[in-house]
Amino acid sequence: MSKINISIADFILMKLIMLGILVFCVNNLFAAEGGPCKDYGDCDKFKYSLNDMESLQRGASTFLNYCYGCHSLQYSRWGRVAKDLQIPEDIFFENLVFDKSIKPGDLMTGSMPKEESAKWFGVAPPDLTLVSRVRGDDWIYSYLRTYYEDASKQYGVNNLVYPGTAMPNVLMALQGNQKLVCKEVPMLAKNGGEKRDDFGNTITKEKCGILEVEESSGELSKDEFDKLIYDLTNFLVYVGEPAKAERERIGWYVIFYFLIFTALSSLLYREYQKDYH
Amino acid sequence: MQEKDNTRRKVLIGLTSAVTLSGIPFAATPFIAAWNPSARAKAAGASVKLDVSKMMYGQQIQVAWRKQPVFIIRHTEESLKSLETTVPKLADPNSEQIEELYRGMNATRSKSEEYTVIAGVCTHLGCSPKYHPEVEPKPWDATWAGGFFCPCHGSMFDMVGRVFKGVPAPTNLPVPPHFFKGSILTIGEDGGNA
Amino acid sequence: MSEVIGKMFGWFNSRLPIVNTFERHLSKHPVPSKVNFWYLFGALASVVLIIQIVSGIWLIMPYSNTEEEAFSSIEYIMRDVDYGWVVRYMHTTGASMFFAVVYLHMFRGLLYGSYQKPKELVWIFGCAIYLAMMAEGFLGYVLPYGQMSYWGAQVIISLFGAIPYIGESLELWVRGDYYISGITVSRFFALHVVALPLVLIALVFLHLVALHEVGAGNPEGVDIEEFLDDDGVPLDSVPFFPYKVLNALVGIGVFMTVFAIIMFFFPEGGGYFIEMANFEEANPLVTPEHIAPVWYYSPYYAMLRAVPDKLGGLIVMGSAVAILFVVPWLDKSKAASIRYKGTYSKLAITLFAISFLTLGYLGTVGVTEVRKTMSVICTFIYFSFFLLMPIYTKYEKTKEVPKRL
Repeated sequence: MSKINISIADFILMKLIMLGILVFCVNNLFAAEGGPCKDYGDCDKFKYSLNDMESLQRGASTFLNYCYGCHSLQYSRWGRVAKDLQIPEDIFFENLVFDKSIKPGDLMTGSMPKEESAKWFGVAPPDLTLVSRVRGDDWIYSYLRTYYEDASKQYGVNNLVYPGTAMPNVLMALQGNQKLVCKEVPMLAKNGGEKRDDFGNTITKEKCGILEVEESSGELSKDEFDKLIYDLTNFLVYVGEPAKAERERIGWYVIFYFLIFTALSSLLYREYQKDYH
Repeated sequence: MQEKDNTRRKVLIGLTSAVTLSGIPFAATPFIAAWNPSARAKAAGASVKLDVSKMMYGQQIQVAWRKQPVFIIRHTEESLKSLETTVPKLADPNSEQIEELYRGMNATRSKSEEYTVIAGVCTHLGCSPKYHPEVEPKPWDATWAGGFFCPCHGSMFDMVGRVFKGVPAPTNLPVPPHFFKGSILTIGEDGGNA
Repeated sequence: MSEVIGKMFGWFNSRLPIVNTFERHLSKHPVPSKVNFWYLFGALASVVLIIQIVSGIWLIMPYSNTEEEAFSSIEYIMRDVDYGWVVRYMHTTGASMFFAVVYLHMFRGLLYGSYQKPKELVWIFGCAIYLAMMAEGFLGYVLPYGQMSYWGAQVIISLFGAIPYIGESLELWVRGDYYISGITVSRFFALHVVALPLVLIALVFLHLVALHEVGAGNPEGVDIEEFLDDDGVPLDSVPFFPYKVLNALVGIGVFMTVFAIIMFFFPEGGGYFIEMANFEEANPLVTPEHIAPVWYYSPYYAMLRAVPDKLGGLIVMGSAVAILFVVPWLDKSKAASIRYKGTYSKLAITLFAISFLTLGYLGTVGVTEVRKTMSVICTFIYFSFFLLMPIYTKYEKTKEVPKRL
């Protein structure tokens, strides 16, 4: 009897120690670190859609028109992009490729000599083939939308996601003049709703660092601009791993195959288990 | 009872083996496909362009397409005429044994009346034949009327790459896809108007 | 026709022990009749080994081991080579899965006392395999020459510098250059694709030969050799073929499903299998903001960081692996399996598992004061598990081990 009691006591002690460690872990380990989107806080979520050819085509067009002047895609080949994005080769080369000596098999090595650009921007604009894999799609999607006016900087703009970025806001004409403003915003109550005073009016407080575009200063509305950046990011996700859509497509078949294999082999195994049970 | 058990067992063995075996070709696909020419190799093996207007009559030049020699010959009037007289010596004067891209277009076998474009690789064992345009007796042929002689195993071809009878090479030298745009010759592309 | 084949086979068999070897090690090899899923990971490890060898051979072909081209040759494989991405993801996923399977296999060993007499050598060869795998994995991770390859190698090679007197010259000798250059990459390449695979295959061979000599264990810790039938075959055993093979087939099916899910849908494993910074080419002038090893080394990395001394850290890290080799002589228990061991053993192995997992987590995140304290505590628990083993296994009350399975 006493033996059992001791082992129960041991058991409880063990569980208590484990619990203590667990609580300690949960409370202290997951201390927040600075996120990748820096001053912006949490990055905006991005969900790629690599089967949306129109989005990818628009993204490619935006990239080639606005970005390719400075940024290369040196591991990617022109013809592969046209093929994967289902753009007929003649239309692609007619409308999107500005250097007529380029052949479909050529790499997209950029149109600007590296030394030259380093002189202009202080650093050479990086190659962007793998940017979606190094930084993540959320980061790109947030970064391109968080430029704001800052007269202290070289190009008059700064960025919340990448403070001190060396890149000017090349899309400013489209987006318009974005500024950091202070605003009265509703305070949130503990239950997540808006806080109200006794008369039912919303209680507000001043909050700063809010991005706001000067009205009708850009060619596109906010939604249109967000969509433009969505397409551009989507294209960069594609360029980061051209086989991604195919990979996910094939993946379903492979998983299906192994599920069937598992089912059959376990039936067979059980059948043979009868021999010795 | 025993009988029934065995049937179930046999069916399951059959099904499992069938599923396993059917997976093998799929599993092998990436490994086999990885040996295909890569996009880089294909890009490097894309077309080559050159201006042929500076070539002299009777001259032969060699360019590399896919790192393989391609011969371009600008024929003289005489050598074009001699093509007919060589016919009795040839094994396949009309290139019927090979897939001839531009059959019946010109005597030169190319898309041009003046230039011949042929792969410079002997169809015997892959040596590169030498150009001997001179009409004079040669150690290998007393009635030589100009053409190609392969130093490796003695195969002979005429001025447009057609193989002689009684030599080790089995077929004519193939004509690679090409097209002329003015005096610019592109090898490796058809130009779409063949 | 069949007579001719039979004669030919006879000719070979009288000169090569084909039938004997096949029956002894495969078809008739007796294995315990009652085992659980923990006993599948050995078979799975050999499946991954084959996957790694085949995919590895296919990666050697397009890979370039020069400083200028190593990084871009990986992108060449991912884009320009037909299905190159399949081969590469197979290899990267395989690397992580190899470690996952081997960690579970080793934990099985600790749970069920698979190192106890007479299986000491099986265990030791296993530990040697693990050590060789760690080296193999490290060398392989350097080959893409990305930022993590570079800085990970920088950190690990710098550890050699902690060795007194010869440290610095040893560092230089290993690199063959003043930084981790193409020279380093190409010698790591040779070791990764030729030298260590040879060692690994030899060790796996020895591991299996030793195992077949002493026989596989079971979760009860019963010695099945005690009760034999008239032919000398253990009563509580079944032949390897078809029973164990079919059992393994089920395991392989489940395992390959998981493998496919990772390989086709999460090949980067959220940055734990392929780190994001490794998609940037090595830059010896810029350290990435956050350096973390791949997940399978992170427990040891956390131990390294827990010790505030370069040489001390190296010694702790080295001992953490070295101590595994002597486990057969640390366990004084009469029972092999955790099922029949006492409360202290159960408590110890639970704490050990928690501390190892916690260390694994800590190794992947940045250092804070609290985390550092946690690392110290967990390192302490890790070593206590082994060093106190002779005491708690000797003085605890074990349950009686049954005679039969």
